[in-house]
Amino acid sequence: MGEHTVASFDEDLGQISRLISDMGDLAGSMVGGATKALLNSDNALAQRVVSDDAIMDARQRELDDRAITLIAKRQPMADDLRHVVGSIRMAGDLERIGDLAKNIAKRVGTVGLSVTPRDLSHSIDGMAQLVLIQVQGVIEEYAARDAAALAKLRADDERIDVKYTSVFRELLTYMMEDPRNITACTHLLFCAKNLERIGDHVTNIAENAYYVLTGTQLPANRPKQDETAMSAPAA
Amino acid sequence: MSQMLSPDMTIAAEAAAKVKIEVKNLNFYYGQSKALKDITLSLPERSVTAFIGPSGCGKSTLLRVFNRIYELYPNQTAEGQVLLDGQNVLDRSQDLNLLRTKIGMVFQKPTPFPMSIYENIAFGIRLYEKLSKSEMDGRVEQALKRAALWTEVKDKLSASGLSLSGGQQQRLCIARTVAVKPEVILLDEPASALDPLSTAKIEELIDELQADYTIVIVTHNMQQAARVSKQTAFMYLGELVEFDRTEKIFTSPREKRTQDYITGRFG
Repeated sequence: MGEHTVASFDEDLGQISRLISDMGDLAGSMVGGATKALLNSDNALAQRVVSDDAIMDARQRELDDRAITLIAKRQPMADDLRHVVGSIRMAGDLERIGDLAKNIAKRVGTVGLSVTPRDLSHSIDGMAQLVLIQVQGVIEEYAARDAAALAKLRADDERIDVKYTSVFRELLTYMMEDPRNITACTHLLFCAKNLERIGDHVTNIAENAYYVLTGTQLPANRPKQDETAMSAPAA
Repeated sequence: MSQMLSPDMTIAAEAAAKVKIEVKNLNFYYGQSKALKDITLSLPERSVTAFIGPSGCGKSTLLRVFNRIYELYPNQTAEGQVLLDGQNVLDRSQDLNLLRTKIGMVFQKPTPFPMSIYENIAFGIRLYEKLSKSEMDGRVEQALKRAALWTEVKDKLSASGLSLSGGQQQRLCIARTVAVKPEVILLDEPASALDPLSTAKIEELIDELQADYTIVIVTHNMQQAARVSKQTAFMYLGELVEFDRTEKIFTSPREKRTQDYITGRFG
């Protein structure tokens, strides 16, 4: 990527890239923190995740301001235009990831009060690990400008969907076994759903990042493996 | 060059329009120096095509070949073919006056004749047609309306064309071009000397005119090319680097040289 004749244009674009990278790091740490807090019933850590969300929101507003100012000042074209518009959209998804992580963190106290949360939340652990790898991966691959890796990462969301289906069924089983588990398991179901949604936002980011890098869209259809919608009425 | 042909043919197919001007293996020389190198492209009818590229890339030269205006100058030669509706305009047998009524041209600097607004329009028409006073009045009005100038000048048609503002003068030149009923209009940086409001009026006019005319515009203003044209050709050092749909050129061009130019990373 060559430099612009107007050097300050490169600085403006660089600031937007840095904000995306910061928001990506923050999203990773919020998702990691929220699930760790959930698994360990760590209220202090959960509180930190909740307060981090304000930082995430502030970053997104700053990125919006910078992107809009850049468009007004520079009228970017081609890859620059895709970079700026793609960043606005990626920032939207990262902000939503922050919200979902905050929502998980807010449930930590309630789940912790219930019986033996660790056993119940064990299956979520594996799912959370998959999601965290995706969140961290998407920002890394975008920074490395690796379009092929982004396409693969988007397809990998399928594994989260499969995992979500199995967590859903497992938690249903716990609830049927012992009604005292219902409160904790319901909260855990929401946490699992949040993690699944985070996975979807990661695929959005991967799609945007792919378009920014290549100028072409990934095919619209991606395999969907969330079967809970089908299994729910039967349950 | 074969690589260049395919997107170009896609454009004609997509526009579902017939090809108005077909350039085949065109070379152009200023004396010994080669200014256009083996240019091949097809311009669809009733559509706006923009030529962009850095100064000296050959875009204005290419425009000047279309109506053979270069022949006004010594030592300028073109070889290859420029087919207007299948007829090679570079043929020696081509009637130049007829060619220039079919292919009108508007330049960067407004060039009204030092005569009345009315005469600026009527002058060209008289060269080709004998009309009664009332018929001529009608044609002048029609041309000025077509160029979106009528309401501003209808009460002062006898005033000098030079008394108009720059933007109005440029629209007068477009009216003058339209008056002789051309098929193609060549615009060489038509708005580069105008303020933003006059520029907007010219762009609005181009948008209206493309319903009836095949328009080719040379511009240094990339946003302008993106706004007004359906297809864009990027030229560099006398070569046609990329020719494609305008959206494609400005959002994800195929060639790195195109990308570097339109994003301001050149040289």
